[in-house]
Amino acid sequence: MKNGLLLFVGIFASLALSWGGLALGSNAQLGGLAPYYDQLENRAFPERAPGIASRGKLVYQDLGCAACHTQEVRRPGYGSDTERKWGDRQSYARDYIHQERVLLGLSRVGPDLTNVGARLKSADDVYKLLYHGTATMPSFTFLFEERPAHAQPSPKAVAMNGDREIVPTPRAEVLAAYLLSLSAPADYPAEKAVNAIAPAKKEGEHK
Amino acid sequence: MTQVTSNALSESDTSSRWPLSLLLCAALKWLVLAGVLSVISTIQLHTPSFLADCSWLTHGRTQALQETIFIYGWAANVGFAVALWLLGRLGGAPLRGLGLLTAGTVFWNLGVAFGLVCIAMGEATGVPFLQMPAYVHPLLLVAYAAIATPGILAWTGRRQRATFATQWYAVAALFLFPWLYSAAQVMLLGAPVRGIGQAVVAVWFGQNLLSLWLIPIALAAAYYLVPKLTGRTIANYDFAPHGFWALLFFGAWTGTRQLVGGPVPAWIPTMGIVATLIVLFHYVIVALNLRGVLCGDKRDIALRFVSFGLVAYLIGGIFDAIFAFQTFAEVVQFTYFPMAQLKLALVGAYSFLILGAVYYLAPRITGLAWPSSGLIRMHFRLMVLGTLVTVVSLGMAGWTQGHALLDAKLSFAAIAASTRPWLLAATAGEAILLLGSLVLTVHFFLLQAAAGCSTFGSTAPAMEASAS
Amino acid sequence: MSDHPSPKPGSSSSLSDGELLHAHEQAVADKTDDRGSYKLLPLVLLFTFSGLIFFGGTYLNLFSGHFDPRIFDERALPHTVDTSVKMDPVVYGKKLYESLCINCHQPTGLGVPGTFPPLAGSEWINGSEERIVRILENGLKGPITVKGMNFGTVPMPAVGAGGANWSDDKIAAVLTYVRQAFGNTSGPVTEEKVVEIHAKIGAHAEWSPEELLKLP
Repeated sequence: MKNGLLLFVGIFASLALSWGGLALGSNAQLGGLAPYYDQLENRAFPERAPGIASRGKLVYQDLGCAACHTQEVRRPGYGSDTERKWGDRQSYARDYIHQERVLLGLSRVGPDLTNVGARLKSADDVYKLLYHGTATMPSFTFLFEERPAHAQPSPKAVAMNGDREIVPTPRAEVLAAYLLSLSAPADYPAEKAVNAIAPAKKEGEHK
Repeated sequence: MTQVTSNALSESDTSSRWPLSLLLCAALKWLVLAGVLSVISTIQLHTPSFLADCSWLTHGRTQALQETIFIYGWAANVGFAVALWLLGRLGGAPLRGLGLLTAGTVFWNLGVAFGLVCIAMGEATGVPFLQMPAYVHPLLLVAYAAIATPGILAWTGRRQRATFATQWYAVAALFLFPWLYSAAQVMLLGAPVRGIGQAVVAVWFGQNLLSLWLIPIALAAAYYLVPKLTGRTIANYDFAPHGFWALLFFGAWTGTRQLVGGPVPAWIPTMGIVATLIVLFHYVIVALNLRGVLCGDKRDIALRFVSFGLVAYLIGGIFDAIFAFQTFAEVVQFTYFPMAQLKLALVGAYSFLILGAVYYLAPRITGLAWPSSGLIRMHFRLMVLGTLVTVVSLGMAGWTQGHALLDAKLSFAAIAASTRPWLLAATAGEAILLLGSLVLTVHFFLLQAAAGCSTFGSTAPAMEASAS
Repeated sequence: MSDHPSPKPGSSSSLSDGELLHAHEQAVADKTDDRGSYKLLPLVLLFTFSGLIFFGGTYLNLFSGHFDPRIFDERALPHTVDTSVKMDPVVYGKKLYESLCINCHQPTGLGVPGTFPPLAGSEWINGSEERIVRILENGLKGPITVKGMNFGTVPMPAVGAGGANWSDDKIAAVLTYVRQAFGNTSGPVTEEKVVEIHAKIGAHAEWSPEELLKLP
């Protein structure tokens, strides 16, 4: 190869092709995806997260929760995602259209969080998990503060330390609001119609 | 200008000594830091409570930090040094623009340091391989332009019109990084694309950072070192261009295989799987071209590093292709297994190939031999042991974890218990790698100290040493 | 070379950079020399590459969902499924009824005696489709008799374009619902029928019962 220009054009084209195909191609297909308007519910899905949840997402992002938690459910029959009750259906591109930053996650050291808002009932549940941790999750004690309890302990207190109570900091509160807001809507008719037939076909092949 | 003498050639080494040494010093400092953080982050995998009270060292942050330090600190700096040195050597003239290079190096490393502080403070973006906050990246791009200038000048001002495989790979790496990096920055941080498109751009960027930037630099070094060290030309060299273009044109599409089963249209991961398969053609040609190194003189340390790196690279390529397919991806996706694959590529392939080049070039830019052959041997053995232990145990941990995850009845506590022995082994492996990095760093500073003394004592050794 | 990668030119076999470039350039140039001889390696590589491309192409054809953005399961293929949402008009109509009509006509459909006429068993509801479509489209004003009782003190507001701005399919759905709820057993009102009547009358003020009773 003696032609420097050709080399340069080739190098440039190699990345430009994949960029055009993957980055621009996917954006052309999915960038205009609209929410699904459910006439019965008279609401559009997915719904926008409330402002407090968006702030909580920044806490989720800055603590690096995505290092151990994913936010995508794989289809029934591919992995055990639906059997583990992480969701009733697989995640579709439409689920992510309102997210300012998509944090799919790389690893499942802990459970998937796509529908964690449906599993955890209240902010109290979230505080308890964050404060005490589990066998696989550390306790995030720095998200809580200790303060003297008054005659009537705060309803948010997760634990008592003598006459002092341990209450969530504002960061823990917004994080809890974010986690509770995570809940994928029921299936979208358009995606369901095209993708639902496949699992039956697979079972037919196997048996 | 017309005088192409051996004097002009030998000068290229000593004149670029300080800027390249600066890059290498910076790289080694980051390598040790990355090692420390890797150990911490791996300990946190089996003992989640480790350092958990410290909000700037949550597992998420240590993970982001060690990945960023390894890529933008160690791999980038050492890659710049090696790529520039190679382009200078093959350009046949001393490197020009060294002032820019020095300034660029300083600002690149300041930028990385600033970015790391930001991540530790909680400004991480959450995008793999692009964790530093958006405002750090323009500084890095400008610094990069300054660093790459000597390389581009050496390429455009080369004395011979004929080019060698090393030059293609090095030039490709230098050109593609800013293109890739700025595209990812705009599409992910500046003006993010809508919804799931971000995930596609993120894996496209992450994979290409490896396949189109780091790996080409490592291969550039390998293509240079193999004929140099064995004294024979590259076998079947006429196929080298095919290998090069196969990596560029197919390698650029491989990233999306990670999205298999994900919330993206099926063609996107399928495209990645197919590209990962076709890129095997590149591996075949690299194996064909560089096979000479495996039967070379095993006493030569650079050769031993290159041999190990080459084998790791080829095995990594085959593993990538096998585990890209849905049947296997279903098991290993979201486990420690992809971490093992990444470790194999970044440490096993990239670090080993590039360290071969460092062992080769450091004496040539300082004009002195490495002070201790014992330390070199020790470093090599620690590196080999550390890499094997880390990759194998992370891989086994991932395989165990993947199968356990498929069984919906197994709780996460049970999964953690079953992977714990492997993760303990991986921690040991990381610790061995860290020890190896420390040995190299100490040795490199000994070399620099000796070179510093000799420079101020007498200039004779430098003159004598720069002939090859 | 020993363990020390010596900076000195080691053995005689080591290549200088100039030689390195030259020797490899030569290696490529030499390729054309022995054109006549049969070489196995290029063929093997060509086969390897073609094989990979062929396998990759087949795989792509099978598992890409024909590049359809709606296909997430790589085994599915785009097919002509009608993905537009067809809802059961009764379910939809009930939802609509509960969102508006229920305020006056009550959950039981019995209305309020003297103010809001009943829908259950009403001869208007179970009678001419055209009349009730017109009532919903434009409203109703004036004294009216339903099931032998007199009403008309409160006009019925328009639900169509002049009032709540319901589309024709919503009007069809809610009428279909009330014609089979509260004990009514009349047939459904199709969307086509509503569209047809809507087109015929255009914009109109509230109807009076006398006007409507003239209709068949």
